[in-house]
Amino acid sequence: MTILTIFAAASLTTVFPQIAPHNQYSFSSSNMLAAQIQQGAPADVFASANTKLPEQLYEQGLVEKPVVFTRNELILIVPKSNPAKIHSVFDLRRPGVKLDIGAVGVPVGDYTRVVLHNLGLDDALSNVVSQETDVREVLAKVALGEADAGFVYLTDAKTVRGKVATVGIRWSAQPIVQYAVAVVKRSRHLAAARQFVRMLLGPVAQSKLRAAGFLAPR
Amino acid sequence: MIRKSALWLAALGALAFLAFPIVAIFARLSFHNLSAGVVGDALVVSLKTTFAAQALVLAFGTPTAYLLATHRFRGRSLVVTLVELPIVLPPAVAGIGLLAAFGRTGLLQTGLPFTQAAVVVAVAFVSGPLYVRQAIAAFEAVDETLVAASRTLGAGPVKTFFRVVLPLARGGLGAGEALAFARGLGEFGATIMFAGSLRGVTQTLPLAVYQEFDVNFNEALALGGLLVLISAALLVTLKWLTSSSTSVFRFAPSTSS
Repeated sequence: MTILTIFAAASLTTVFPQIAPHNQYSFSSSNMLAAQIQQGAPADVFASANTKLPEQLYEQGLVEKPVVFTRNELILIVPKSNPAKIHSVFDLRRPGVKLDIGAVGVPVGDYTRVVLHNLGLDDALSNVVSQETDVREVLAKVALGEADAGFVYLTDAKTVRGKVATVGIRWSAQPIVQYAVAVVKRSRHLAAARQFVRMLLGPVAQSKLRAAGFLAPR
Repeated sequence: MIRKSALWLAALGALAFLAFPIVAIFARLSFHNLSAGVVGDALVVSLKTTFAAQALVLAFGTPTAYLLATHRFRGRSLVVTLVELPIVLPPAVAGIGLLAAFGRTGLLQTGLPFTQAAVVVAVAFVSGPLYVRQAIAAFEAVDETLVAASRTLGAGPVKTFFRVVLPLARGGLGAGEALAFARGLGEFGATIMFAGSLRGVTQTLPLAVYQEFDVNFNEALALGGLLVLISAALLVTLKWLTSSSTSVFRFAPSTSS
C-alpha cells in the first residue's frame, strides 16, 4: 500500500490517523502548510481548515480542484477551574481576561475574528494575550490553565475533555467553517492521493469524522 | 597535489554551503517589503527584552561566575554542570520547564506567562549560561599573583575586584556577554511557549519571522535579513572583544602553569 504524505490542518490531528493510520502526516496551521507547499514541500494531499487556501493553491496551479469534505464549529473553551469565571462569551469583555486566539491568517484566527464581530465583541480583542500559530496551541494553553479562555473548534474541545469547560456560541454568530481537501499536483502518487480524497468522502471516513464531532459537508 | 586540490574542493563546498542561505536571503529580499508596523514593533520588543535580560545576566551572572571561579567546594562541578545545562537543552524543553515552574498552574504559580517579563525570563534562562560559562573561564585566567599583590598593597577585596580582576577579565567577559546577547536575540522556542506571541508585547523578531512566513513570505525574508545584519554586527563586536582580550592577557605575567 502506498504511504502518502498528508499535509493536514492541526484540528485534524486526532481524527486523520484514526481514518487512515498508515499514512505520514504533517499537522500544522493550514496557512503554514500552504506556504510550505508553495515552497515545494513534498506533500501528496493538502487538507485545510478552510476553502480559501486550497482555492488559492488551485489558482496557482499547485493542487487539483479542492473538494469540501467536512465542516466544523467554533466554541469558547475555559480551563476546568475557570479562573476568570467566564460563563458567557460576553464575559470576554471584562478587563483583565486573558484571551488566547489564533493569529490573523491562521484559519481559526480568522474565524475567531468573525465570531467576535458577529457578536459585537470586537473590543474583546484588547484582552488577547497571545496569538497562536495553530489551533492546538490555543487548546494547549487553555487546557494548561495559562490562558483564561480561547476559541477553538468544537472537535478540539472534545480531545481534552476533563481539562476544559466549553461555552457555546449562538448559531447565528457562527462562521462557515468548511474543510477542503486537494491532491497536490507534484505528487508522485497521484492515483493513491485521489483515492484518499474519494475515501474521505466515503461513508467509513465520514462516520469517523462524525464520531469526532465534525459535521457533514454541505 | 591531488590531496591538496581535494582539500580545497571540500573547503569550497563547505563555504558555499554555509554562505548560500545567507546570500539567498539578501538576493530575494527587498527592504521595502518591510511593513513598518510589524517590524518596528518586533524590533522594539526584541531590543527591550534583550537589554533587560542581559542586564539581569550581567548583574547575577558576574558574581556567580566569580564565586565559582575562585572557590573550590564539594559539588562544585555539579553546580557548574547545572549552570551549563540550559546551553544544551532544546529550547522547547526550556519552555516547558519555565511553564512548569512559573506558569499559573506551575510550582510557583506566577502570572508571568504572556507578559513582556516572561520574554525577559525566557531569554535570560537560555542565554545567561553562555555568559556565566565564559565568565568563569575569564576569572580563572586572571593571574592570582596580581590579585595577591593588590591585596598586599592594601587594596580591599572589593577594590581589588573592580580595579584588578574586572579589568583583567574584561575581554573574556565581553566575549561571553556578546555570545549571550546574540543567543538571546535569536531566542524562539522557549519564548513562544512561555510568553506567547503578541505583536508589540511579546512578539520578538524571530517570532515575527515565523508568523510572517505563512502570511507574507517576502516580509519574513526582509525580517530575516534584518536579523542577519544585527547578528553579523554582534559577531564582529565579539571578534573585536576577543582579540582585545588576548592583548590584555599578553601583558599579564603568568607564573602558574
